[in-house]
Amino acid sequence: MATIKVATPQSEDFTGNLYVFEVPVRIWHWVHALAITVLAVTGYLIASPLPSMSGEASDSFLMGNIRLVHFIAAMVFAVGLLVRFYWAIVGNEYSRGLLIPPVWRGQFWSRMWHEVLVYSFLTRKIAKYRGHNPLAQIFMWLINVVLALFMVCTGFALYSQGTGAGSWADVLFGWVFVIEPSSQAVRMWHLTGMWLMVVFIIVHLYMVIRADFMSRQNGISVMIDGVRRFKDDGPRDPQ
Amino acid sequence: MASVTTPNGFQLDDSGTRVVVDPICRIEGHLRIEVNLDENNVIRNAVSTGNMWRGLEVILKGRDPRDAWAFTERICGVCTGVHALQSVRAVEDALNIEIPANANHIRNLMMLAQYSHDHIVHFYHLHALDWVDVVSALSADPKATSELQQSISKWPKSSPGYFSDVQNRLKKFVESGQLGPFANAYWGSPAYKLPPEANLMATTHYLEALEFQKEIVKIHTIFGGRNPHPNWVVGGMPCSINVADAGAVGAVNMVWLNMVSDIIDQTIAFTDQVYLPDLKAIASFYKDWGFGGGLSSKNVMSYGEFPAYANNHTNESLMLPNGAILNGDLGTVYDVDVRDPDQVQEFVAHSWYKYPDETAGLHPWDGVTEPNFEIGPNTVGTRTAIENIDEGAKYSWLKSPRWRGNAMEVGPLARYLVAYARGKEDIKEQVDSTLAELGLPITALFSTLGRTAARGLESQWCAWKMREVFDDMMANLKRGDMATANMEKFDPATWETDVKGVGYGEAPRGALGHWVHIKDTKIESYQCIVPSTWNASPRDPAGNIGAYEAALLGTPMANPEQPLEILRTIHSFDPCLACASH
Amino acid sequence: MPAHETFYEVMRQHGITRRSFVKFCSLTAAGLGLGPGYASKIAHALETKPRTPVIWLHGLECTCCTESFIRSGNPLAGDVILSMISLDYDDTIMAAAGHQAEEILEQTVEKYDGQYILACEGNPPLKDDGVYCLQAGKPYVEKLRYMADHCAAIIAWGSCASWGCVQAARPNPTQATPIHKVILDKPIVKVPGCPPIAEVMTGVITYYATFGQLPPLDRQGRPKMFYGQRLHDKCYRRPHFDAGQFVEKFDDEGARKGYCLYKVGCKGPTTYNACSTIEWNGGLSWPVKSGHGCLGCAEDNFWDKGSFYSPVTNLGVTGNVEHTANTVGGVLAGAAAIGVAAHAVGSVISRATGKKPQKSEEVSNG
Ligand code: HEM
Ligand code: HEM
Ligand code: NFV
Ligand code: SF4
Ligand code: SF4
Ligand code: F3S
Ligand SMILES: [Mg+2]
Repeated sequence: MATIKVATPQSEDFTGNLYVFEVPVRIWHWVHALAITVLAVTGYLIASPLPSMSGEASDSFLMGNIRLVHFIAAMVFAVGLLVRFYWAIVGNEYSRGLLIPPVWRGQFWSRMWHEVLVYSFLTRKIAKYRGHNPLAQIFMWLINVVLALFMVCTGFALYSQGTGAGSWADVLFGWVFVIEPSSQAVRMWHLTGMWLMVVFIIVHLYMVIRADFMSRQNGISVMIDGVRRFKDDGPRDPQ
Repeated sequence: MASVTTPNGFQLDDSGTRVVVDPICRIEGHLRIEVNLDENNVIRNAVSTGNMWRGLEVILKGRDPRDAWAFTERICGVCTGVHALQSVRAVEDALNIEIPANANHIRNLMMLAQYSHDHIVHFYHLHALDWVDVVSALSADPKATSELQQSISKWPKSSPGYFSDVQNRLKKFVESGQLGPFANAYWGSPAYKLPPEANLMATTHYLEALEFQKEIVKIHTIFGGRNPHPNWVVGGMPCSINVADAGAVGAVNMVWLNMVSDIIDQTIAFTDQVYLPDLKAIASFYKDWGFGGGLSSKNVMSYGEFPAYANNHTNESLMLPNGAILNGDLGTVYDVDVRDPDQVQEFVAHSWYKYPDETAGLHPWDGVTEPNFEIGPNTVGTRTAIENIDEGAKYSWLKSPRWRGNAMEVGPLARYLVAYARGKEDIKEQVDSTLAELGLPITALFSTLGRTAARGLESQWCAWKMREVFDDMMANLKRGDMATANMEKFDPATWETDVKGVGYGEAPRGALGHWVHIKDTKIESYQCIVPSTWNASPRDPAGNIGAYEAALLGTPMANPEQPLEILRTIHSFDPCLACASH
Repeated sequence: MPAHETFYEVMRQHGITRRSFVKFCSLTAAGLGLGPGYASKIAHALETKPRTPVIWLHGLECTCCTESFIRSGNPLAGDVILSMISLDYDDTIMAAAGHQAEEILEQTVEKYDGQYILACEGNPPLKDDGVYCLQAGKPYVEKLRYMADHCAAIIAWGSCASWGCVQAARPNPTQATPIHKVILDKPIVKVPGCPPIAEVMTGVITYYATFGQLPPLDRQGRPKMFYGQRLHDKCYRRPHFDAGQFVEKFDDEGARKGYCLYKVGCKGPTTYNACSTIEWNGGLSWPVKSGHGCLGCAEDNFWDKGSFYSPVTNLGVTGNVEHTANTVGGVLAGAAAIGVAAHAVGSVISRATGKKPQKSEEVSNG
């Protein structure tokens, strides 16, 4: 297994610029961000539709279109995830951070604790990271891997109800209804998942913007050109 | 105990042979009856045990009051809709919601249809076999049957060929050796008095009624989407009416209204030409079987039903009036106020529930439902293998409702007696003419057969009333009023934080009330007191026995092994135990 | 020719000719994807089969399944009972009572061991040894287990037997338990619905009587033929759903035009049943057609899924207090926004009062 150098030994170099996020990761990031946004908006409107349309039913297809957009975005979202998982295998070491947080390392947890202290203003000892800090990483993993898979499974399970028994969606995702026979319940869990995504987006946006101000490395721009820029040349954990 | 006299004037003696009938079949739910027979096989002690409890009152706590109708509707699928109606009424009462005129008409139509239906099914499918010997029908002469049929009614299905077809079918059925629901019964018992022709006629109508009953309920299907368990809504009815504008095909329209009108005509025809003639024909052979009066000659009660005017539940509006009669005094009818904490109360001294003080009763707004199964020291058997119940202790899943401390009989007979005593013209006329035809005095009604007769009369009356209500509704539509629901207070945000309400009225089996307490838009407490709770109730702390127990006393059994007499009297109440214990 | 009536005879009595009977048989065979040779087998079966014994038990329930059953128009319930099956025990309609009734159970076990169908309406309560449903002085669950031991297969009528239904709704005071959680070793056909549609019930029975086998079932044990699609997939109001035309409240303009009931809580999108196709009471109507949304009555535990009047319902984890996904989610998102804002303020203050991010002290635990 490749070593994950998100939390690098102190001996390592933490100066200068470092190419962290490769092109596929960056493209995926923005496609993924867009898909989630579209999914959340259309999903919300499926759950709580807009005020009633007037006129003949044949004149509009509003709800139908909202669902269509949701399903298209869902396909993009799902395929995107697959591509991202593939890239985790062939990409650079930072491409694996999202998928496999090194939870087996004591250091991962102690640094996570350190980050908790940082974010609760309990310490001013700010550390440097090339990839994500452990706290961000576990949060990323929970939402963008676990929850994303959950949304795909529940979403395609719901989708299979329309495509019918024996359809590919049913064959691949019908098992969801063995775990939870009530499709109303599956729907509501799917909706709840959306809200968790919204929470993530809020926090994530705040974090990356904040990083530019408060951390010792760059925030937003790293997802644009992939380059991690450190603001000082001190060691990761300064003596 | 040996011999005691109850406060409500019945002599009980538990010294003789104990006979147990469990299950009582051809009823809704699970009921056990135990009696003691003296040396002449006359019933001297009777015990009625409700065998089931589901806990709807507990389940409703904390829920949205607007959903309650759907839960309570599932109290019973036989009297489907009646609990839903009292539930929406209770919530409307609590929130001061007035329903539109059409909603009132539709609710009346649905309830009237329910009564007609329920009574027909009861008479033919749940009760008839107590009086009609199916096997004897095999030896009837179809021609004589045809003549009998034509002599009592103009019902068209009356040819000798028709009856012989049915008879052949029955023969084949019996010869197959697979007797299905007719196996192991009491055929040939001397207690059956009908000649073979009458038996064949009635058996034929058993099948016809089975086929016809599914038509009446289509009134529920049209306004409520299905039957059993049609849909309701707090504030009115969910079905919109549209008779003129675009989109009418997606609402109650002329086609459906015509269908309702048709079904009403068919129901009138069936009750006029089949049910009532059969009832009279059968009754005429059992005139001397005058048992089973019980409480009916003493205490009867009706909450009143079918408000002619929306939101008006006074006797001016009610087509069947409210009232209570005590000690058989038809000259005095008391008003029943279900809100009065001193009038309607429930006791649990002999019920499998716990109260803080079990000598006292509780008004349903203060009601408590806490199960507590324990059997008395004189039980024969164990708690999971009861051979004889101990009625000295707790012995039923029913509570004991009382009106001003009195055990009351409720149901069609009670309603008819109250209406009769209140001088309701249409009811008086119908009762008097039927009694005259049979050559019987009004006191003949205080009996098992009287109960069965009142139910038949009411079924017919309901069919007639449906016509009136339908015409009233059409007149209202003609005035341009199409509204079916008042949604002003549907949103819980508009509600007061602490309110109480009661929905009350009549169900086919008698007086029905739902009491609700709504706190912070959720149900704080919900209590139902149901017709069969009144009639099948166990004893109260004072020792008053309920209507079932009272009605069985004094009845001689031809053969204690064959509980036909017990079935007759218990069936005359049309028991519903799912309702009773809920 | 055996003494009992066969299917064929019943059909003849209803004026159906031999020719159309044969046609019926070949259509049935084709409809089930069977070869032409099967048509004559079916015809033969319909002409000669003795009636299958059915024992119909009632646990905790409301009897609306029985009531629904007798509403069947095609075939008529009377024909089913007299001619297609032998309904040997059903306490709601049988003539006998007390021990004469209970004897029939013994006789059935003796005569038809392993051959009869056990039709269950309602369910057994398991709490306190099952004393919440007593029959002949004993807990119902004992009777159920005994009769299940000797049956060929079980039909679980309605949502009570299939899922638990209203008495199993929170807090399920009697521990009412669906059949498949009590009887583990018999084939069970679930026919959910509260109640199920009459013709669906008789359809399941006649399928068994005709083909001598249980109908193919879906993942959840329901006959595929009736529970294969959601109401929403075949709802005649669906064009209004797709167009975004909704009833906003009962009896509004949209209601009178037959718009979609989704916003007033219709659970058609999450309910498998045949209401929108077979419809109720002889194909006359169904809940949605009469203007009220579907309650989801054929679905597992639909009672505890939150309001019948909102498309967004609770999560089934918050007790009776209704917490819908949208309220919980809205609160969470709001809290996140507030938290983030507060944190931003904290960061600014921390920065203003402190030095720059430190880089000269030891991290004790890194
Ligand atoms: C729906 C919205 C979004 C989602 C779901 C999302 C998701 C993610 C994920 C999964 C990663 C980790 C990538 C990896 O390690 O492979 C990430 C990183 C990142 N995202 Fe987003 N993102 C969203 C919106 C945004 C936006 C709007 C921005 C910019 C303003 C942004 C900036 C970044 C940055 C800078 C990183 C790198 C963080 C770091 O390691 O320092 N994201 N995002
Ligand atoms: C981040 C990912 C996603 C979000 C935030 C999201 C959000 C939502 C929301 C809020 C709803 C409305 C729930 C309701 O019925 O009340 C919904 C419905 C639905 N979603 Fe998603 N969803 C996501 C991914 C997916 C995926 C991957 C699929 C796969 C096809 C999918 C398929 C569906 C389907 C079929 C529905 C039901 C639509 C209907 O029945 O009209 N969703 N989604
Ligand atoms: N007792 C009773 Fe009912 C009636 N009628 C309801 O309130 O039967 Ni099921
Ligand atoms: S499933 Fe529903 S309809 Fe059937 S008995 Fe149970 S409560 Fe009644
Ligand atoms: S009324 Fe119900 S089932 Fe019909 S389209 Fe609307 S949501 Fe679907
Ligand atoms: S409530 Fe039940 S009856 Fe049909 S429309 Fe819904 S499944
Ligand atoms: Mg009660």
